Amino acid sequence: MLPLQFTKDPLPEAVTTDFQNLNKFSEQQFASLTEILYQFLLEPKETDKFLAQLNEFAGENGMSAGPLRSLIKSVLLLPHGALKKNLTAEQVKEDLLNLGVNEDKAVHFSNQWKVHSAVLSRVAVGQTLMVNQLVDMEWKFGVTVGTSEIQKTGNIFLQLKLIIRKGNSTENVYMELTLPQFYNFLHEMERAKAALDCFS
Amino acid sequence: MATLSEEHFSALQLLLKAPSKDAVRQMCADSFSSGAPESRRLAESTAGTLSVSSTEAKQLLTALHTVAHYVVFHNLASPEQILAVFPDTFHSSLKNLITKILLEHSTIWTNEAIANQISLPKLVETDWRVDMKTASDSVSRMAVPTCLVNMKVQDFSCAGGIDSVSSVTMELSKETLDTMLDGLGRIRDQLSTVAGK
Repeated sequence: MLPLQFTKDPLPEAVTTDFQNLNKFSEQQFASLTEILYQFLLEPKETDKFLAQLNEFAGENGMSAGPLRSLIKSVLLLPHGALKKNLTAEQVKEDLLNLGVNEDKAVHFSNQWKVHSAVLSRVAVGQTLMVNQLVDMEWKFGVTVGTSEIQKTGNIFLQLKLIIRKGNSTENVYMELTLPQFYNFLHEMERAKAALDCFS
Repeated sequence: MATLSEEHFSALQLLLKAPSKDAVRQMCADSFSSGAPESRRLAESTAGTLSVSSTEAKQLLTALHTVAHYVVFHNLASPEQILAVFPDTFHSSLKNLITKILLEHSTIWTNEAIANQISLPKLVETDWRVDMKTASDSVSRMAVPTCLVNMKVQDFSCAGGIDSVSSVTMELSKETLDTMLDGLGRIRDQLSTVAGK
């Protein structure tokens, strides 16, 4: 077997057989199965929806859900490996052909890959580790009217609440800024944005 | 908020025993801080300067403290307003001297009061850095810029004067930073609208 581009490790027999079993589907069946697959790739968190659609497909086409699920599991190895290695549609098609999938099915799959490649890469990048990701920022500002020390005053204050994701839970950080601090902070963030824009 | 009473003014008359105007000025300045009325060290040094008992010195410090805070609280800015606080029977040149000293210090004291007022933890410092992610376990080659921001906040509400400075570092993607700048820009616009009124 020719070397594959989406993975360096040799594939187990069962996986190769599963890919070749794809040829048994009709054009129509393969098209709807591909669509279900791509929907899952574009929204990797919707596992329940994915499983429900697979079960529906199995029911409609008179096959049992169990073998279908293990087939799909093997097939998913290809797009995951391809995303990791940033493979082009051409390379995906080559790999499918090398695995023994029919020409027209390979072409259909790789065309779908080309269509969705931008969104798929964004999803892959989005799954990259982020440490203490800032999730939301809430703010309010107002005027201090009086304190126990000064009966009438008019200082402007700005309060920020930053919501940070720490693992599975979120943490709230509260702080107060004076006006000069706020303008300084705004200036710094604009510099950071300029630096980020340089690179994109 | 303590009110001024007869006892305070009679204690203030002890200042007539002061050796010089600068000594009076110094005592006024020292008595503003919140720990002053209770400070034994301050009471003893005042007693020494004025040659009075430490009880009388403590009463004087309390009186000076109360008058100073009264002036700051009511934002008395003109000499007439401060002179009006004293009773008519008060020694006239001492009254003028104290008024002059209080006026000199009132701006500094007001700013100090504003800086020390209760608030949420205050921002002390901000640092940022822009990184370029080149690989991860889900994508073996990429070029994604990301921003790390570190903010140091100081919480003054801890008892015992131990200021706790805590530091939080967070990561922002380009979209998050853009959204954040949107929000900050809106704050700036609203601030300039308020300032313009």
